[in-house]
Amino acid sequence: MIHTGAWLSVFFLMCGAGIVLAPLIPQSAHPRWLAGIGSLASLVLLGASGKVLLGGGAWSMPLWTVPGLTTLSLNMDRLSALFIFVAGLVFLPVSIHASTSLESYLKRYSLRAFSVLYLALLAAIVLVLIAADVFSFMLAWEAMSILCYLLVNYEHERSEHTRSGYLMLAISEAGALAAAMGFLILAVAAGSLEFPALRSAAAGLGTGARWAVFLLTFFGFGVKAGLVPVNFWLPRAYSVSPSVFVPLLAGVTLNLGFYGIIRVNVDLLPMTLVAPGLVALVIGTISALVGILYATTNNDLKTMLAHSSIENAGIITAGLGAGFVFTACRQPVLAGIAFIAALYHIINHSVYKALLFLGAGTVDERTGTRDLDKLGGLIRLMPWTAAAFLVGALAICALPPFNGFVSEWLTLQALLRSAELSSLAVRMVFALCGAGLALTAALAVTCFVKAFAMGFLGMPRSAPAGKAVETRRGTLVSMGFLAMLCLALGVLPTYVIPVLSRTLAPGTGVGAANALVPPFFAGSPGHQQLPRALVTGFHKIGAQVGENILPGRGLVVLHRGGTANPVVFAMSTFYMAAVLAGIVLMTWLIVRRLTCRRTVRVGAPWDGGVHRLRPDMTYTATGFSNPVRVIFDAIFRPTTVEDTRQTVAQHFRTAIRREKEHVHLVDRLVLQPVKSAALRLARGLAALHHGRINMYIAYGLLSLLLVLALGWLL
Amino acid sequence: MNSSDLSQQMAQRWHDQVRMHTEPQRSCCEMECPAGLLPEIARWLFAELDYSFAGLIVEEDPAQWALRYEFHRAREDAPVQVLVRRALDEKTFPSISDCVHAADWHEREAEDMFGLLFEGHPRLGDFILHDDVWPEGVEPMRHQFNAQRSVPERRPNPHWRLRRIVQAPGAFAMPIGPVFSGLAESVHFQLETVGEDVIRCVPRLFYKYRGIEKIAEGRSPEDVLLLAERFCATSAFAHALSFSQAMETIGGVAPPPRARRLRVFLAELERLRHHVAALEGICESTALTVAASQMALLQEELLRLGGALTGHRYLFGLLTPGGLRCDLEDGACRRAIAATRDILRRLRQLEKMLQFSSSFLDRLEEVGVVGTKDARTHGLVGPVARASGVVRDLRKVLPYCDYEAFTFETPMESEGDGYARLRILFAEAAQSASIMQQAGAALCAGPVHTPCPSRPGAALGWVEAPRGAAFCWLRISEDGQVARYRLMPPSFANWHGLHLATENFAFQDFPIILATFDLSVAENDR
Amino acid sequence: MSQWVRIGIKTRIKTTHYPAQAETAPGVSPGLPQGGAYAAADVSSLVNLCPTKAISPGLVKDSLIVDYRRCIHCFRCVHGATTPLRWEKGWQWAAGGQKCDGVASGPEGNRLGRVFARSVHIIVVDAGDCGACLNEVKQLNNPYYNMHRLGFFLTPTPRHADILLVVGPLTEHMRLPLLKTYEAMPTPKRVIAVGACALSGGVFGPSFISGAGVGQALPVDVQVPGHPPPPLAILHGLLVAVGRQTPATITSGAPVSLEATTR
Repeated sequence: MIHTGAWLSVFFLMCGAGIVLAPLIPQSAHPRWLAGIGSLASLVLLGASGKVLLGGGAWSMPLWTVPGLTTLSLNMDRLSALFIFVAGLVFLPVSIHASTSLESYLKRYSLRAFSVLYLALLAAIVLVLIAADVFSFMLAWEAMSILCYLLVNYEHERSEHTRSGYLMLAISEAGALAAAMGFLILAVAAGSLEFPALRSAAAGLGTGARWAVFLLTFFGFGVKAGLVPVNFWLPRAYSVSPSVFVPLLAGVTLNLGFYGIIRVNVDLLPMTLVAPGLVALVIGTISALVGILYATTNNDLKTMLAHSSIENAGIITAGLGAGFVFTACRQPVLAGIAFIAALYHIINHSVYKALLFLGAGTVDERTGTRDLDKLGGLIRLMPWTAAAFLVGALAICALPPFNGFVSEWLTLQALLRSAELSSLAVRMVFALCGAGLALTAALAVTCFVKAFAMGFLGMPRSAPAGKAVETRRGTLVSMGFLAMLCLALGVLPTYVIPVLSRTLAPGTGVGAANALVPPFFAGSPGHQQLPRALVTGFHKIGAQVGENILPGRGLVVLHRGGTANPVVFAMSTFYMAAVLAGIVLMTWLIVRRLTCRRTVRVGAPWDGGVHRLRPDMTYTATGFSNPVRVIFDAIFRPTTVEDTRQTVAQHFRTAIRREKEHVHLVDRLVLQPVKSAALRLARGLAALHHGRINMYIAYGLLSLLLVLALGWLL
Repeated sequence: MNSSDLSQQMAQRWHDQVRMHTEPQRSCCEMECPAGLLPEIARWLFAELDYSFAGLIVEEDPAQWALRYEFHRAREDAPVQVLVRRALDEKTFPSISDCVHAADWHEREAEDMFGLLFEGHPRLGDFILHDDVWPEGVEPMRHQFNAQRSVPERRPNPHWRLRRIVQAPGAFAMPIGPVFSGLAESVHFQLETVGEDVIRCVPRLFYKYRGIEKIAEGRSPEDVLLLAERFCATSAFAHALSFSQAMETIGGVAPPPRARRLRVFLAELERLRHHVAALEGICESTALTVAASQMALLQEELLRLGGALTGHRYLFGLLTPGGLRCDLEDGACRRAIAATRDILRRLRQLEKMLQFSSSFLDRLEEVGVVGTKDARTHGLVGPVARASGVVRDLRKVLPYCDYEAFTFETPMESEGDGYARLRILFAEAAQSASIMQQAGAALCAGPVHTPCPSRPGAALGWVEAPRGAAFCWLRISEDGQVARYRLMPPSFANWHGLHLATENFAFQDFPIILATFDLSVAENDR
Repeated sequence: MSQWVRIGIKTRIKTTHYPAQAETAPGVSPGLPQGGAYAAADVSSLVNLCPTKAISPGLVKDSLIVDYRRCIHCFRCVHGATTPLRWEKGWQWAAGGQKCDGVASGPEGNRLGRVFARSVHIIVVDAGDCGACLNEVKQLNNPYYNMHRLGFFLTPTPRHADILLVVGPLTEHMRLPLLKTYEAMPTPKRVIAVGACALSGGVFGPSFISGAGVGQALPVDVQVPGHPPPPLAILHGLLVAVGRQTPATITSGAPVSLEATTR
């Protein structure tokens, strides 16, 4: 068995070698070369993190002691390993996809630069995840942020891209600053920058400091995670990024934000206050709702997926928030469930969002447009891409047997179990947020029915969409891999949940994995509410409930506390999938049997008898989502840009023009007020420089006096 | 103002350019003017003198075109016919539809069927002959076109498409029909929408065009009567009456008094039945099933009443120029009146119940509003116009049969919405029942038929059909056959105005607007 | 809303008992003229009176044959004639149809009739109808006739339809929509032509814009004559189409040998 350190050394060596060798490789060979080295490095990462994740035994290494400051050190515990593993899962198919998709950049942009940035980003991300002290963490974080900016701005010829990149960089830096402040508050208390010292100093922290750390890190890291109200950069950056890079933004760097939040608020400074958890829960729910509303009404495939990332980030945050509250209320088991749900959703979102972005990128590449109003009918021209996109869409809609279902179901279950909390106010917040998330789930279905139906079904609504051809093997392989992952994570959650619970065990304060896991599967020593008889009852019906997981089992059981009514919610995605497959197979067989002697006539769609059905007679994406726009008018607040009628000879209408503009809620409520306030301030300051020399001397004198006064006072 | 006043004013304005002659036999006043003056005169009549536009009659004489623009106003004034003549090879005429917008579709029809061109009309092209079925250049109403032979070689333009005018991001055209919903007549609608709310709706008609005007040419008046009676069965009696009256004007005969009273009696029976059917349609469109069933019961009872009284449920085969084909028994008429009285009582009860059904009213009120000004410029007729404050009831304005002998009122509402149209239908149904009773009481003994000779000549026939003013122009040639039979039915006018009521509406209101507009495709697609 | 329930109950059942019992209310049917033996003097005058040539001299001397496909209820053979034609107020008029190639097709071996005879969905296509036939089909939905009790339902989409009910002479513009509707229907399917126009073109066809009936474009399985056929006749046609009623003949007064095959 290879040592984890050796795996990581190989990984960093590969990245380093790649960066050094990149300038020597000819441009045209870069796509394949990058794909090779990127996927190999990802495999190495999977090996390294998998070992820690499954086998246990954290790996750590002191790197360098900076005299008088701190010791830089690396550490890979289960939490780091989990995020590294997810990063590997996304980097692997994306690297394979790069082999085909990068070719479109040949002769336009430097592929050497891309390879360097790509590998450097991979290394920086891993460094962020294994950094074990504040200094190296922030260093790696900065590197990652800057590399992200450079990659977002890769197609730098268009000013729109550069603007979006700058916005992203600026907000990221502000977020990083806030997060660093949060760390520093902890570090001051601990007198050290190293994580273990921070962890041990946490217990003595006062309420004010706890609030400060929570708010600073939550919103600081929330920038990367895409939480309302600090996410206005996200749709802009996602929509302009190269199609190779967007899956990484959504599937990897978004997770880093959550890694930061979890590392600080679960691992280093476990939550003892209820209110911050509620803040997280509410912010998460609002993010989810706002995200899905804008996703549903947006017709640009990439932007729509970006808004949907905000929605998923919201769901994850809501799960985390619930976990915080449960932790603070000393309900470690419930906290465990909530955190498991959040972590599971992080994994799932990475997988299906990467898949959907690959699909969207492929459609963009093959048709030249991402506007759903101009697409349509691609299922006949690009059947494999369509199938992969459909899997992703079903998964993100939280439909079984795919993975989104498991984590959203767990999240909602966790929220429902707030009934076990004592405070009525907290229960009400939970109930409202649960309702909000349920609405989100329903809107998500609308959103992705629209995305799939308008993109792939019906008739092509523009000439390029009618001439698209299927993409090449590299992309298909990577999409197939991710689609299989969606299915596997959905069907076999019982293999994943114990791993997640072990990951969380140190953070939630529950000593061993056993203490957390059994409530799902069996009555634990601490939780005797689940009667033994019931457990054995489950054994009898074949769903062996217990620790010794056998293949073919996939039962997720949650029980509601309370000695009086140990109601058991049981749901097995594995059996569900089996039954679904059986139904589909049976239907197919019956239909075949019934129709084997008949000739099947395939006719044109019924069109009401019109002479010829034209594409402009079919629903557009705008039309499909318009009911949502009308219902949530109060949130969208559209402004009418144009509403004119053109008439000739008094009565003959020749044109009716209508256009409405939607400014994003966050832009309207946060960005624009901040912007105008800043401009007002700048104008006020500008009044100070009106250029008289006497005044400038007076300013100097005044500031000198001020400093002196301050010095005297202190 | 009578016709001499009119001619004085004309002479003052246009000196000798306009020639005017009244023909008492034809009961209308004809003013012939050069083509250039046409828009000016039309504007003068329509905008200043408050005349209504009834229709455009195009005739192809052997040597020249004769275009007659029909106007009518009040009881004292004869209908005015503005006549424009031009040589056959000059096919361009000025359009009057920017001022008299009611002429819009008449001009489009003339363009489609005769190949005439109307300068200033922006929307000529696909109308009666569908451009996705027929090539350009087919002019079926010309004399040389053989009505009996089908046109085998047809190469229509494959890229033809219905024009769309809404320009909004994501706008699309929702096609409805021609084959749609259970029992609708064949018509196509293009709803332009961005989802949810429909911005504009354009009907595409004439799927059922049967070329009545063309196939009538050269047939005997007896045969054309069959066509007049059968092109729109729901107002069959009205159109046959209009034809018969035109024949009687040409022949210079008047039907005997008993026939006139019976005609009024049956015409009002038809109106009552039609209005009940329209009310049933409205109740059905709002999914008020019990009310719709009750109305359906009434309608079937009225159909049976007609069947028992005349032998035919739709009153076919009864009218003939000069009177009626057979007499009706007085006893049967009395029984019919008694039955009508009962039906009216139940109708009133339903009206009261509907007025207290808020869910029903909610769906009708402020739906499909047509303003008074629009209703007038678009030349709407019948109950639809009366609901928008435009009252011009031919039974009062240009009385025929013995309508002036009966007392009745023409109801009027001004809101112009679906509920106003509903109230008009109820009020008119009550008036019809009252006229039936008066006519039944006024029945005198006597013959019901005077022989009506088929003389050469031309005349205008009109009738207030259940859906509004219906005009027809009949020309009998020297050999006693029909040379031109021009139909100007009320649905043609009202379909043209439908788009006024179908702008910016919620999709679920569409059936309701259609039902309250009470349109017949068969009557329009003659 | 309760008042609607009350009035609904108060109205009681109005539905006809047909086909279990005959309907006797006046005015339900205009009736049809009868062929057969007539005085020699009347034969030629009656033949000349008919504007659509529905009446023709019979093969047997001094008899008349009435072709119901052409009869348009103009009543000229009654009101205008010295000896009126005999009329019979019935409604069981629906007859088996004629395929395009002239081969008669009856409801024999009718799978539609056997399997789904009590759940039949009908799509109505208006191919240029004057409104009367359509209105009479509509009456089948009203409480007096209520075709639902016999298992007939209207559907707006051909995909669910078993029976295509066509009214009107088939105008040029409706030819394509009608064919598309027929194509879009699943098999087995039946076509019922309702009304004289749909059977022969009536007063309208054939001309440049109108056909001479639906039979020119589609194989007609059941013919329902009348102008318009009263609701009961259409109901009879529907029952014939699913094999629950015996068809009538489309002509009256034809020699018995021919008639025996169908009656």
